[in-house]
Amino acid sequence: MKKIKEFFRYDNIGLLFILPAFIYMAYFVGYPIISNIVLSLKDVSVRNLANGQQNFIGFANYAEILSDEVFRKALVNTLVFTVSCLVFQFLIGFLLALLFNKRFKIAKPVRGLLMIPWMMPMTVTALMFKFMFSTDVGIINYMLKCLGIIQENIEWLTTPGTAMAAVVMANIWIGIPFNTILISTGLTTIPQELYESASVDGANKLQKLLNITIPLLKPTIESILVLGFIYTFKVYDLVYVMTEGGPVNSTHLLSTYSYKLSFDMFQYSKGSAVANVLFVILLLVGMLYIRITMKGEEE
Amino acid sequence: MKKGFLKILAAAMCFSMLAVGCGSSGSASGGTNTADGSGADASGDVTIWYYWETEGHQQALNHIIEEFNSQQDDVTVEAKYVPFADFKKQLSVGASAGELPDLVILDNPDHAAYAAMGIFADLTGRFDVSKYYDGPVNSCTLDGKLYGVPFGSNDLVLFYNEDMLAEAGCEVPTTWDELLDVAKATTTDKVYGFAHCALQNEEGTFNFLPWVWSTGATSYEIDSEGGIKALEFEKSLIESGAFPKEAINWTQGDTMNQFISGNLAMMINGTWQIPTMREEVPDLKWNVAPIPQDKQQASGLGGENYAVIAGGNEEGAIKFLEYATSGETCLYMMNTMGYISANSEIAETQFEGDAVYQVFVDEMKYANARGPLPEWPDISDAISLAFNKVLIGDAEPADAAKEAQATIDSIIGN
Repeated sequence: MKKIKEFFRYDNIGLLFILPAFIYMAYFVGYPIISNIVLSLKDVSVRNLANGQQNFIGFANYAEILSDEVFRKALVNTLVFTVSCLVFQFLIGFLLALLFNKRFKIAKPVRGLLMIPWMMPMTVTALMFKFMFSTDVGIINYMLKCLGIIQENIEWLTTPGTAMAAVVMANIWIGIPFNTILISTGLTTIPQELYESASVDGANKLQKLLNITIPLLKPTIESILVLGFIYTFKVYDLVYVMTEGGPVNSTHLLSTYSYKLSFDMFQYSKGSAVANVLFVILLLVGMLYIRITMKGEEE
Repeated sequence: MKKGFLKILAAAMCFSMLAVGCGSSGSASGGTNTADGSGADASGDVTIWYYWETEGHQQALNHIIEEFNSQQDDVTVEAKYVPFADFKKQLSVGASAGELPDLVILDNPDHAAYAAMGIFADLTGRFDVSKYYDGPVNSCTLDGKLYGVPFGSNDLVLFYNEDMLAEAGCEVPTTWDELLDVAKATTTDKVYGFAHCALQNEEGTFNFLPWVWSTGATSYEIDSEGGIKALEFEKSLIESGAFPKEAINWTQGDTMNQFISGNLAMMINGTWQIPTMREEVPDLKWNVAPIPQDKQQASGLGGENYAVIAGGNEEGAIKFLEYATSGETCLYMMNTMGYISANSEIAETQFEGDAVYQVFVDEMKYANARGPLPEWPDISDAISLAFNKVLIGDAEPADAAKEAQATIDSIIGN
């Protein structure tokens, strides 16, 4: 009796409350992750998927993908894609947030419209950009020509370098609203009095931005960047629809390459090894995020 | 300690989105893997998976299923649409999770892979395929055993816009050189002379391989005189300016759309496009001819096969197969869908009086199957990478061929 009572002490009851969530997470998140790790240590291919003859081969799959040119390319691509998207999304998002923070007449409706890229299904966006970047009939080449910037059509999606640029641009467009909205929200938490007293002290706009806005937004900015990194790092559908990783594997990301290995080429173990590399990188970034948010709460 | 636990929980939540990509497919399966296939009496439910997105195809299948269900009371058949992009994934996931339907209708180059996985029932001696064409039957055979029944076939031919060729004063090309000349002659600032789907996937490989076969080389001999010649031909097409580079992003459907919109004078495409083209552009004057050749006539064999899932309701599935492949029913399916029956007896009289289809039926004799090999997807990937490299100018034909050959050899063990 005493033991039962002891168990229901304040702390342990808390554990009971999170039990359903924990079971859910363990089954739907933990189990796939562990089974994926196990899969990557075995040799599972088209010949032995169903008949059970699956041998453990240690880290041979990882060694194999590390010497795989396409994997290395995909890893570099993923990093380039993520970093360049983050930088532009954040900068443009930040500027737009500052703009919409001014209370001009149509600020609210326009800020609402700005959410459209974020709400639109990714495949629709991808198809739209695929058409816009078309060499002969795409509106982007047409506009660039009208403006006199280019003479000859750019072969956006059929040349490796520009194809990468095109998917980056498409993803920047998608990510701007996310940044704008979160920064806008952050801006509203900064007390107006600070700006007023700064004005009294004779600070100019740039000084206010650098010394009030940005320092006070720091926690918001950190969260946005880390969350943005996670969202961008795992982008799959945009690239799959726009280029399917092509031309000649030049736009493969870890996500699309993992899918291709597993479900187009039936190399399940190699595919899961690639997925695990993606997972480990995101795990590290995720831990960073938790550290940042925990620190924020402790302060 | 509590905090550590929270950290783990939070970390797990962060990555739930990662897991969605890997683990979401299991719940979507509608398999009825009842184990009542042991007795000779067919009964119970049969679930079919198929991937046709064309409405007419779906209606045709549902129509024969309804008729089958109303004719007898023992077996109830139900069909489920799985999008093509998801089909292979669903089958693979289903294979390892044991959640599969009883019958699938799948793309024939993938047949050997799934047969090798052991998810298909051995139909040797249980279904008579003696009257079927060899190519389609080969595609469902692995190690001398029959793992499926050809559903219907299609092949590739040259489509050409009669008006555009007449305007340029050209005859229908029959050789590679003629094709190149006609393509150049019909190219204007709005029209490309010639294109085929050149995607870096199975679809692109399907459209490229006829060049290789026409030189006398096989799909496994890319770094050969013939293979390199085929790649050189692609290079000369793209360099002539008559072949749009963007074809590397065009599906066969996209290519057909470009053709019927008047942006293409000639294209390689397949049997299944005819019903759509006749309906969409009844006024466009187009015709078909055998694919221009190098040394010999060659085309690609496409189409679907039925496969019965091992351990499912095998008897019920076979009973439905007997019905679906019988004369009248088969003919109805083939005609509605624009397929050529894989059953030579039916095919020979299927399109009497239809000159366009007759070209496809004649080309069937020269149509080569891809594979059958469980690792065909890897071979196909190497081949499509090679011609994509050539098309975008990333590699010279000889180098691209060498690279592809290295991959192919590592797979087939030469």
